[in-house]
Amino acid sequence: MNKTRIVGVFDEENSLMAAVNEVKKEGIEINEIYTPYPMHEVIEAMGKKTRFTTAAFLYGFFGASGVLAFLYYTSVIDWPINYGGKPTNAFPSFIVVTIILTILTVTIASLFTFSARAAIFPGKVYDQPDERSTDDKFVIVFDKPGVEGNVEKLNAILKEKGALEVYEKELNLKK
Amino acid sequence: MYKTEVRGPLILGDKNYRQISDDVIAPINNPIPGWWKFSFFIALMMGVFGILALYQTVAVGLGTWGVNNSVGWGWEIINFVWWIGIGHAGTAFSIFLLILRQKWRTSINRAAEAMTVVAVACAAIFPAIHMGRVWLAFFIFPYPNTRGPLWVNFNSPLFWDFIAISAYLLISASFWYFGIVPDFATIRDKATSKVKKAVYGFFAFGWTGSSREWLRYEALSYVLGGIAAVLVVSVHSIVSTDFAVSVIPGWHTTVFPPNFVVGAIFSGFAMVMTLMIIIRKMYKFQEYVTDSHLNAIAKILIFISLIMGTAYATEIFIAWYSGSQYEMFTFFKNRITGDYSFQFWAMVVCNAFIPQLFWFKKVRQNLTLAFIISIFINIGMWYERFNILITSLSKDYLPSSWTTYSPTWVEIGIYVGTLGFFAIGVLLFFKYIPMIAISEVKSVLKVTTLNPNDKKHTSHE
Repeated sequence: MNKTRIVGVFDEENSLMAAVNEVKKEGIEINEIYTPYPMHEVIEAMGKKTRFTTAAFLYGFFGASGVLAFLYYTSVIDWPINYGGKPTNAFPSFIVVTIILTILTVTIASLFTFSARAAIFPGKVYDQPDERSTDDKFVIVFDKPGVEGNVEKLNAILKEKGALEVYEKELNLKK
Repeated sequence: MYKTEVRGPLILGDKNYRQISDDVIAPINNPIPGWWKFSFFIALMMGVFGILALYQTVAVGLGTWGVNNSVGWGWEIINFVWWIGIGHAGTAFSIFLLILRQKWRTSINRAAEAMTVVAVACAAIFPAIHMGRVWLAFFIFPYPNTRGPLWVNFNSPLFWDFIAISAYLLISASFWYFGIVPDFATIRDKATSKVKKAVYGFFAFGWTGSSREWLRYEALSYVLGGIAAVLVVSVHSIVSTDFAVSVIPGWHTTVFPPNFVVGAIFSGFAMVMTLMIIIRKMYKFQEYVTDSHLNAIAKILIFISLIMGTAYATEIFIAWYSGSQYEMFTFFKNRITGDYSFQFWAMVVCNAFIPQLFWFKKVRQNLTLAFIISIFINIGMWYERFNILITSLSKDYLPSSWTTYSPTWVEIGIYVGTLGFFAIGVLLFFKYIPMIAISEVKSVLKVTTLNPNDKKHTSHE
């Protein structure tokens, strides 16, 4: 959505976290935080959770069942071949293929899930509050309409906690 | 768990975040150095030789090779197993150390994974051309076809191998690529030229570093790490079943899967060491790939070398203990002594004895020696595969089918070619992709500088 945003740029993760905690105490809603590397405190502060592992488990479960079913169909139903008198449903020797193809299924499905949920794909049109956030700056973004009436207070908090810059910018972000 | 007091700082030289990005991106922005061009030229020549040999193989047929009815697998399979082995370390390195939360992996894992991807791609060439009619190689895909549909033999280790190698290549390449995405974004945002911004911007997939992205990114890396750890162990176990499932003396042993996995990680770690010493020296990354990093790799190599020695001793002991005259003959008359005893002893010396020099701190700290030892390990691992393949095949149960084997120029050419392809891949990686995982190194910077007093210890010895 295209809105006016208030962007605070920090130099250091501790001052960012101090500002985040203070802002949350004041009940001001944070839109998003951009960091140069993954920070667990930030993810926790944003209150975000992911069900990625559950999804991965399901992919694995259905992948494994699918592969076993395929092996059974091809080797037993569709075209049974006598390999040295071994049973056509040679379960132990299906395990290897099942394991590898399950891993492959989980990987590919997880990559697509990641791409969809994190919105990371080739040719994506995106808006970045501050380009330095992939280098050395920690950037916090608020919606201006959402903090109406609190703008002064917010600016004061950000400055007090050590923001290098606080500015307003039109940004087309996810929300 | 990582403890600064134990291992010393991970990054030296009081870096800040911007310096880390600048240092790592520097080789991408700087003009190409002379040694790079020279090495690239040599590698290209080797690659051209390889392509010639591959052309000869496809145009004329497998008759251009030295393989025969008894020794049906020659240099190609030796080289295939050797490359796959080297290709194991990258993923083993990043994934096992990721799962064990070893933070010192961060400045090495990118290069190790790059090496994996290139090495596995080199390895994949060999089984494909070994099929003879490489243009029919797609027959191995189990797809509903017009030949029945006649499915492939799902009980065959050779098919397992195909599945394992292709899955491994795909998974290690995607694991590697998604690790680089945030770093591509860093390059994109720091680039001054429009072309660079556009190209790296395309590959960065619109990464911005928001908490929404990082949350899933972390989840993805743990999921992939967890399942790929299984893959690392299983791929080389499957390669070993190509041998162990057969009834050839010297191959039909249960020690093969663990022996192959450990051997693969051994040669891969040695190759990581070779590469990291080169990267460190040529790109002046001493502050990221510190002495303590190489020290840690050397210690892992000592440990794995001991396992290798134990495995060799186990094989010999079991050959004697089995009482099977064929096993006894293979080990005592055809490996330890006999026509191929040089290869056997080269393997033992290079893999089990030479790495033991790393017990000495002076050797671990002398990077020239460490470099030489890491090369010796890879030579030793090549001889190990030679030893397994050629000795067992050349003299099996029937003396009437005994024969010798020596490679032709075509076989040597293909090997030289893959060395060239590998070098080309690695050199392109040096030039166009950040060699050190920028975001990961940034995330461990704080850990290493939390307490300035810790910097006094550099190692725990």
